[in-house]
Amino acid sequence: MIYFDSAATTLQKPSTVGRASLYALHHLSTPGRGAHKPAAAAARVAFDCREEASALFHVPPERVVFTFNATHGLNIAIKSLVHPGDTVLISGYEHNAVARPLSTIPNIDIKLATSAPFEPESLLCSFKEKLSESVSVVICNHVSNVFGYILPVGQIADLCRKRGIPFILDASQSAGTLPVDCEALGTAFTAMPGHKGLYGPQGTGLLLCGENAPVHTLMEGGTGSLSASMEMPDFLPDRLEAGTHNITGIAGLLEGMRFIHGKTIGDILKHEKTLVSRAVSGLSSMAGVRVFAAEHLFCQSGVLSFQVNGMDCEEVGRRLAQNGIAVRAGLHCAPLAHYSAGTLEEGTVRISFSAFNTLREVDYFLRAMQEIVKNK
Amino acid sequence: MTYYLITCRSLTYAQRAERILGRAGITAQILRSPKSISGDGCGYAVRVSERWLSAAMKTLKQEKLGSIRVYQTLSDGSYNEVEQI
Repeated sequence: MIYFDSAATTLQKPSTVGRASLYALHHLSTPGRGAHKPAAAAARVAFDCREEASALFHVPPERVVFTFNATHGLNIAIKSLVHPGDTVLISGYEHNAVARPLSTIPNIDIKLATSAPFEPESLLCSFKEKLSESVSVVICNHVSNVFGYILPVGQIADLCRKRGIPFILDASQSAGTLPVDCEALGTAFTAMPGHKGLYGPQGTGLLLCGENAPVHTLMEGGTGSLSASMEMPDFLPDRLEAGTHNITGIAGLLEGMRFIHGKTIGDILKHEKTLVSRAVSGLSSMAGVRVFAAEHLFCQSGVLSFQVNGMDCEEVGRRLAQNGIAVRAGLHCAPLAHYSAGTLEEGTVRISFSAFNTLREVDYFLRAMQEIVKNK
Repeated sequence: MTYYLITCRSLTYAQRAERILGRAGITAQILRSPKSISGDGCGYAVRVSERWLSAAMKTLKQEKLGSIRVYQTLSDGSYNEVEQI
């Protein structure tokens, strides 16, 4: 099978990831839950993972919080900072992991900063225009999960810093492929999954917390610290890590991040862009195929959306699956992004790459697409 | 030999203290704080020998590790608080 759905989950992982998770399953217990060897070994792995994240994303290790996925982290971030009656400014490319938690908070005013895909200057203008004094929080994803569009988060973060507005970054599609420097961006929170570009197992994620961000708990319970108190500790990471850790996942995530560190982030992005470039070139030459790509891929990562004129996107996805090619079709849990691009009615077919995909696979996909277009 | 326990507010902070000390060439070992000094329960500490205490404290004071307390281990198994940061 050819797997082009890494924007959802990277399927091919470094071999060390599975080995570490399997070892953890049999030899590690839970950090902070005893003086015995399995607990101490688990604690070491967890801290090594925090330190690895600290080095990659420039945040102190104690402010690296383990979550179950990016959605979990975004829920904590949003519910810590957004209160009933607040005004929140978000980009027009947010995932439902942002839109749905916001929709549960009563009486909030959600402002949308948007423009067509791959127009970062227009998007920035929209942010400037809508960043009024009433805005109390800004939320933006780094890369659109639908279009691979790299949003100008550095400049958006600058705007927020100048006005003293907390900034939440959704790094779901950028962690592992683009530099994410929490210190430089000054993010209040940065959320990311472990199972995409960090090559960890499903059920892992990281929430990187800014120095002065208020932290609201989503869950309360045992932390292995201050156990005589009925209240959650007021310090991180314990405040946000109630209950037993997913140590098998964390052990795998550690190895995934070590893989990233070994390859360097720039190398992976370059490789993915090479694949996207070949796909754009091939798809664009097919009659009736509309490709959503940035000029010279200047603000595009390893994700690409397209449509086939006269064919339902799900039908294209189904036929590719019949050819042994895994892609994702539909709205990709991001109706706002499709609204911004004008594709809400039809949806798109999305291909998304990882460090393990090859040009031969892209060429096979293009041959399959030629047949699909010919026989539609 | 006299040992000192530097108590930290959580396992993660104790781990960070241990790594910082290790990088400074100071031998330290993480352990769960004895119940008698852990206050609200389930605390963690790093243990250093008397020889390393002064250097350890100097190193840790430069880091943001929250509040830490230092206890001397006494021959009868009890602990005597000697410093608080």
